[in-house]
Amino acid sequence: MNAQQPVRIVMVEDDEGHARLIEKNIRRAGISNDLTHFLDGTSALDYLFNNPEGPAQNGPALVLLDLNLPDMSGTDILAKIKGDERLHRTPVVVLTTTDDKVEIARCYDLGCNVYITKPVNYESFADAIRQLGLFLSVIQVPDVEA
Amino acid sequence: MAQPLTDDRRFTRNAGLALAAGFGLVLVALILVAMTYDNARRLNDRVEHTHRITDNLSQLILAVERNETATRGYLLSPAPLRIQTRRDALARIGPLLTDLRRQLADNPEQARRLDALRPLIREQVATTETLMGMALAGDFTGAQAEFGRRVLVRRIEDIRAEIGKMQAVEAELLRQRIARESGNRDILQAILLLTALLFMAVGVATYLLVRRYTSDLAAARDRLHLLNTDLEAAVAERTADLRRANEEIQRFAYIVSHDLRSPLVNVMGFTAELDSANWQIAGLIDRVEKENPDLLTPADRTAALEDLPEAVGFIRSSTQKMDRLINAILDLSRQGKRVLAPQELDMKEVLTDIAHSLDTLATERGAHFVVEEPLPTIRHDRLAIDQIFSNLMENATKYLVPGRPGVISVRGKLRGKRAIFEVQDNGRGIAPEDTERVFELFRRAGAQDQAGEGIGLANVRALAYRLGGTVSLRSALGEGSTFVVDLPVEFAEEGKIK
Repeated sequence: MNAQQPVRIVMVEDDEGHARLIEKNIRRAGISNDLTHFLDGTSALDYLFNNPEGPAQNGPALVLLDLNLPDMSGTDILAKIKGDERLHRTPVVVLTTTDDKVEIARCYDLGCNVYITKPVNYESFADAIRQLGLFLSVIQVPDVEA
Repeated sequence: MAQPLTDDRRFTRNAGLALAAGFGLVLVALILVAMTYDNARRLNDRVEHTHRITDNLSQLILAVERNETATRGYLLSPAPLRIQTRRDALARIGPLLTDLRRQLADNPEQARRLDALRPLIREQVATTETLMGMALAGDFTGAQAEFGRRVLVRRIEDIRAEIGKMQAVEAELLRQRIARESGNRDILQAILLLTALLFMAVGVATYLLVRRYTSDLAAARDRLHLLNTDLEAAVAERTADLRRANEEIQRFAYIVSHDLRSPLVNVMGFTAELDSANWQIAGLIDRVEKENPDLLTPADRTAALEDLPEAVGFIRSSTQKMDRLINAILDLSRQGKRVLAPQELDMKEVLTDIAHSLDTLATERGAHFVVEEPLPTIRHDRLAIDQIFSNLMENATKYLVPGRPGVISVRGKLRGKRAIFEVQDNGRGIAPEDTERVFELFRRAGAQDQAGEGIGLANVRALAYRLGGTVSLRSALGEGSTFVVDLPVEFAEEGKIK
């Protein structure tokens, strides 16, 4: 098992501004892992499952997932990841504006690892992302081959 | 619908009148029948009367003739039988005459004739008396001679003729009376026939009317049943529509407020980025000012150190306010979705708890609560009731008159199936034109010197409506406000009116 293979961060986020803010704050937290950004669900799924560089074929990854996507619901992507034999161990962090309890419960039921509500208050937002960065730096992401 | 109804009413009235008229006619016909029948009986009596007179006349002439014949026979061949016959005949003449006199009292002409007849008969009887007397004395020859001389025969013929005339008169009377009687019988028959026809007509009319009413009643009942069913279906449909519309609005509020948050995250985020970039620029300005002040114009300084931070500050405070508003809408829409769970609530306990939890805040603001007992027990959703009263009580501590210690009284009572609560304060009050406005979302009244978004009362009213109640306000500026919460004692299922 190759423990040194870096964890790739896959971000599915339709709002470019949010994506930019998330990336900035992750970098500020000192995380330098590769980050691939997708604006819609279809291309993200394609990358996750079919791209030779993608986590299904190659190496561990962590998914940052927004629930409100233009072409599908983030929960569909979550269900697909957690239902796939190769990807079901990939940590998924749901990072979205929805703070509806039902939605949160549904995401955890589907196997999401962390659910974070994007706070409008920027300090809290930056804080949350930086903590996520810390979280990323300490977790051991299982290798898909493991 | 109105037109046929008046038509129906008119028909009913007319039918009633027609029936009454029919029965009236039947009654008249019956009276006519009775009268005609009575008349017939009277006519019949008259006919009988005439018959009796004719009969009596016949007997009279018979008796007179018998007397005559018996007397003559005795003169020719004296036999005791003839004396007897003659006596019998004579005995009958008197009563017959009396009878006839009485019977003819109503007919002066006949009575006169009878009176004229009397002397003739008397004379004839007297003659036979004389002859008989002679014969009984043995003087047969003398009697026979006398008989020849006295022309008895002519006398009897006179009598016969006179009685014959009277009989003819009576016969004529009889003919007339029988004719009248039969005419009367015809009338009676006609009237009876008419009455029967009337009876039939009224009967048929009654039958038709009853049938019409019965079928009308049955039709009305069927229609009513149909309407009832339709109405229930219509109400159910409307209720479903309303519920759908309500859900739609809640979903709409939720989606809108939710989608509004997303760009807001960007505005806030990049404002913060701007802010931190500005700090860098401020640092740069400081450095430039120290090292090379000539490069710096006052405009550069103002832009970097005053204009930019000011702009960022305004953007930030506005976004924060917008965020609070959006959150409020989200909360409201979420509350609308919450399922209510009614339970027994001792309001004394509930209100005292709320007063306790708000005590510190109230003391800070210079007010205190008075929970007046007794308070009723109701059956409602605990959280909703808590929110209603803590909102109202917290509100009451907020708008005091400076320098006047705030007293907030909470009381409640039962009125029938309603529980009525009052939250009264002695604060600054609300102007009459604002008493409805304060319940609207994002609207507030009076001086805007207290923090708040104008959500509390809107929420209170929405909750009260959900519980099947109302919230109203009595207030006088400068004297205080009283919020009245009127709730059903027991929570009924939503959308159902108990």
